[in-house]
Amino acid sequence: MKNLKLTERLGLVSYRNQSKSEIKPHIVVDTDVCNSTCPHKCTTWVCPANCYTMDDNDQVHFQVEDCIECGTCMYACDQGAVDWNFPDPEIGRGVTWNFG
Amino acid sequence: MDEKFDCIVIGGGVAGLAAAMTLARNNMKFLLIERGEFAGSKNVSGGVLWGSDLAKLVPNYWEEEDGGWERFINHRRLTLMDEQSAFTIDFKSSHFNETPYTGVVVLRSKFDNWLSGKVQEAIDASDYAMDSFIATNIKVDEVIMENDKAVGIRTGEDEFHADSVIIAEGVNNLLTRQVGLQDKYVPADHMLTGIKEIIRFDQEVLEQKFQLNGLSGMSNEFVGSATDGVEGGGFLYTNRDTISLGLVLSIKDMREKKKSPHDVLNHFKTHPAIADIIKDGEVVEYSAHVVSSGDSRVMPKELYKDGILLAGESANLLMNAGKAIQGMDYAMRSGILAAETIVKAKEKGDFSSATLKEYRSAMDQSYVMKDIKGFQDAVHLLHTETMQQKVPNLLCDFGRQFFTIKNEPTPKSKDMLKGAVKRHASFWELAKLGFKAGKSL
Repeated sequence: MKNLKLTERLGLVSYRNQSKSEIKPHIVVDTDVCNSTCPHKCTTWVCPANCYTMDDNDQVHFQVEDCIECGTCMYACDQGAVDWNFPDPEIGRGVTWNFG
Repeated sequence: MDEKFDCIVIGGGVAGLAAAMTLARNNMKFLLIERGEFAGSKNVSGGVLWGSDLAKLVPNYWEEEDGGWERFINHRRLTLMDEQSAFTIDFKSSHFNETPYTGVVVLRSKFDNWLSGKVQEAIDASDYAMDSFIATNIKVDEVIMENDKAVGIRTGEDEFHADSVIIAEGVNNLLTRQVGLQDKYVPADHMLTGIKEIIRFDQEVLEQKFQLNGLSGMSNEFVGSATDGVEGGGFLYTNRDTISLGLVLSIKDMREKKKSPHDVLNHFKTHPAIADIIKDGEVVEYSAHVVSSGDSRVMPKELYKDGILLAGESANLLMNAGKAIQGMDYAMRSGILAAETIVKAKEKGDFSSATLKEYRSAMDQSYVMKDIKGFQDAVHLLHTETMQQKVPNLLCDFGRQFFTIKNEPTPKSKDMLKGAVKRHASFWELAKLGFKAGKSL
């Protein structure tokens, strides 16, 4: 079997409120911390949904749309940059698992 | 719903549903709140529900034509891997065909939803058929505390009041932290990320592939190169027409070794032993869920306080001591015991910690806390480099020699073993390991 790319894997996930153009992010990341004092920027590789990315200038960016609510970043970030919450059922994103 | 409930249960997972079922059966007036579209819609497990407690909640569940479970386990495998080889301990027994089963594979979106239907039936049969509720699509923002005692919950602008709250919110235990039972920041040290793919096959193909008969199933755990040098392990469980294939990976170790979980999963899937199994399958879901290792150092300070009980992963009740990953069964038992304590508290008319501490003693007397206390050394041992890498490498090296037949004189097995030990570890290391394993297991 060919291994799937992460984008193909995430394509299999059923996200909530996809028809809404504006959603309320359930995770707020203070990327100023990531891009100033953080010695590792580990969220850019430990997140299973690759919500944290690093650009060519080694700057960390965060998007919540692909988040599958696992919580990994909340534990992995030891710099206090990740403010993690559960998505709002009405105006948040998050997942509905088909198998779980 | 402006009246006060006996209890509010937060979370429609295994712990919350087990608590709710027990409350309903004891004629309690309660509200179960689930933030997902339906119970199970946010939940992910490996996952095998071990033990036979399910039969207490849903008697004779196996007689149902299409119950919420996938397959019962009568075949267990533990595989130690190096990059090319797989050395497996394999045990299958028709003893495990007898009901109540001692392990069933579940997919949570289906299982929890099914169990929640059973809870609704129990509510309908109770004295509070019109006053107890399962409410979905509601996120609890806060447990309302008055004089350090829980009196209800807040969601947005709305408040619901109750004499007690069972927190069964799962591993990302924000409310447990809010009420002060766990530190606000939980470090990565004893936390792991589980990631999983659901891979679909033609059902007959799957049954032949794994030698399944009827609804029998297989569980397979993996250590060694499955995790590409990251602390953790792998798993494969058979569902009706899919398999659950995944890894559990130490977050701290991924941080330090700069490894991505999805890359490690690809590495696992290309191992020859796995690649041959999954070659004609189709991935239908990719999911992730954080778990604790079972190290008691990451557990909350206490399981109760005035008006509050913690059940399931909210209290990081999960353990892998090398034999199986147990979490859902701990959730089920703790949910049942928490609800039983609430029933007693109502009889006494006292929901303070003076009564709720009985939950702690019930838990301490149960297999859950006995096993967690009794197997701490095994949890630590499983996470050592010796167990994670050296033993799998050594065994695979030995296996490769032992099972190689050349047209030349064959060395004695003990010499093959000696050589394998020297290449990957030392006799002293193994003696220590044997001693520790003998004591801890």
